[in-house]
Amino acid sequence: MDRFPKRLALLAFAATLAACGGGGGAGSSVTVIPPPGGQTLTYTDPNAYSSSANASLTTPNEITSVTQGTVTVGGQAIAYTATTGHLTSLKLGAETPEASFFYVAYTANGKDPATRPVTFFYNGGPGSATVWLHMGSYGPKRLDAQAPAQDVVTPFALVENTESMLDVSDLVFVDAIGSGFSQAISPNRNQTFWGVDADAGAFRDFIRRYIAVNGRAASPKFLFGESYGTTRSAVLVKALETAGVRMSGVVLLSSVLNYNTNCGLGFTAQITCAGYFPSYGAIGAWHQKVVPAVPLPGLPAFAQQLRELTNNVYAPAVTTFLANRGVPDNTTLQSFANATGITVSDWQAQLNLGPDPFRVRLLPGFVLGRYDARMSTPGISPGVDISSTFISTSFAVGLQGYMTDTLKFTNPSVYTFASGAINTWDFSHDGQGLPDTVPDLATALTLNPRLQVLAVSGYHDLATPWFQTERDIARLGANPKVRVKNYPGGHMIYLDNASRVAQKADLADFYRSATQP
Amino acid sequence: MSRILFAILLATSFGASAQQQWSDPYVPPHVKRSPDYVETSGAALKAQVERKLRDQFESADLAKSGTLTQAQARQAGLMYIADNFPAIDKRGAGVIRFEDVKSFLGL
Repeated sequence: MDRFPKRLALLAFAATLAACGGGGGAGSSVTVIPPPGGQTLTYTDPNAYSSSANASLTTPNEITSVTQGTVTVGGQAIAYTATTGHLTSLKLGAETPEASFFYVAYTANGKDPATRPVTFFYNGGPGSATVWLHMGSYGPKRLDAQAPAQDVVTPFALVENTESMLDVSDLVFVDAIGSGFSQAISPNRNQTFWGVDADAGAFRDFIRRYIAVNGRAASPKFLFGESYGTTRSAVLVKALETAGVRMSGVVLLSSVLNYNTNCGLGFTAQITCAGYFPSYGAIGAWHQKVVPAVPLPGLPAFAQQLRELTNNVYAPAVTTFLANRGVPDNTTLQSFANATGITVSDWQAQLNLGPDPFRVRLLPGFVLGRYDARMSTPGISPGVDISSTFISTSFAVGLQGYMTDTLKFTNPSVYTFASGAINTWDFSHDGQGLPDTVPDLATALTLNPRLQVLAVSGYHDLATPWFQTERDIARLGANPKVRVKNYPGGHMIYLDNASRVAQKADLADFYRSATQP
Repeated sequence: MSRILFAILLATSFGASAQQQWSDPYVPPHVKRSPDYVETSGAALKAQVERKLRDQFESADLAKSGTLTQAQARQAGLMYIADNFPAIDKRGAGVIRFEDVKSFLGL
């Protein structure tokens, strides 16, 4: 795997600086249950939180800051309470303290919890804090990244989010253990929860506790994970249904449901990149390298042609290539070149083309972004991901200021954007070295036939390709409760202003459908 | 110090030369794909679902009796069974077999 520009130390440094510069709130003490609307309480949490594998918290607390806000969505002003702090997950069965989860909850004031949905958001990694979804997607405020623009002034402006999902659901943004300010409670260590099954179990227990403490047992409940967060969601929704927590819906954003079929994870010598081929076409079209040209409105129709070319020609050709190194004739390779912009000679040299070589070959002298391949930068190494580096500092600075100034929560520790969890993560699941979580999703759908699933992907994402997600979801068989939608955009589709509007409309439809009695 | 200055300082202090080890999703090199991995769908996926549920059931059945009581299901955290026990226990036996769970779930 190629190395990517560092987010870790950069952001840790940003968080340290901003924490030093931020104004501290008074150490007010409140219970975990949000007080009635109108109240504002600041909190400076004295605990030191660590992302190291051996870290183990001995003094967990559940004190939160509480602030009030208003966001206007679709012309409707929504007054909400923001609650920021920690909640202790209790191990299922024993009900003993397990981990101290850091979360920010946005709860609309004056709604009936029996009918008001609540959604749990988390990023992936594994080891990533939920800063990208929190500050970029459907919360009441967002950082205006304007993807794929590369001439936006940084740090991005913090703006009111007129596409916030607060009109359809309360929103809880929660950090994985060892990221953000979340940490294992003694005698557990962070490492205890750094595995596919242990991580999902702890999230299950956090959600059980959140529901219990906040009186949300009757509320329609949703999961909203991104990237590895979709892997987590599949395992987690099965765990929740097994534990008797009935879920209404799961939103999978930029999915990696099966690590065994994503050739971009370093397995191009063993497995087919057919799941990526249609993404190459969509990205080639964006950069005006396909023949004939495909303007953006033509993308859905072109996507269908790409699916057919992949299924009928490219995928069988790669199967042959992996078996005996046979390469198709030039006429066939020319059809691949026309569809993607990658030259015949490049296809000849590397038929099973992984995403990193694609990123340096499409536009000679430039490297395309991995998260958003519409963005590019001069260079020859896929080790630089402009779509990641361009946004990182803005999110670091933006989150820190927002947490201190608006959410009124401060803590002396470094807020960990990305821990080292991934390097010691236990990826094994269900007897396999790498997780295939489609069977977990299928099990959840068996346990709860009313459960609905919406998988959304970006046409221009080279981390979790949309056609691979369609293939993974197709394994579940035809089921009107499981739907797939694709949008122009990268891994973080919501950073694209037009696609965020379109996706919000689809999410509102999904919530309506999934909460019907 | 203003936040804009933070950003400038960050850009000049670290720049693009610093490297990180990963980007989501990512698998470190020491993690291997199992050579016997098989992708399932249709009847094979359904069988996999059944196996996962059967494994849970058997893990809860500590005495290996082939049956669970409501209390045993609750003890094991299998609340989907405990909460629906009367509906699953169609025979009214006070204990259920995995076949009863299958029937309840329409498997």
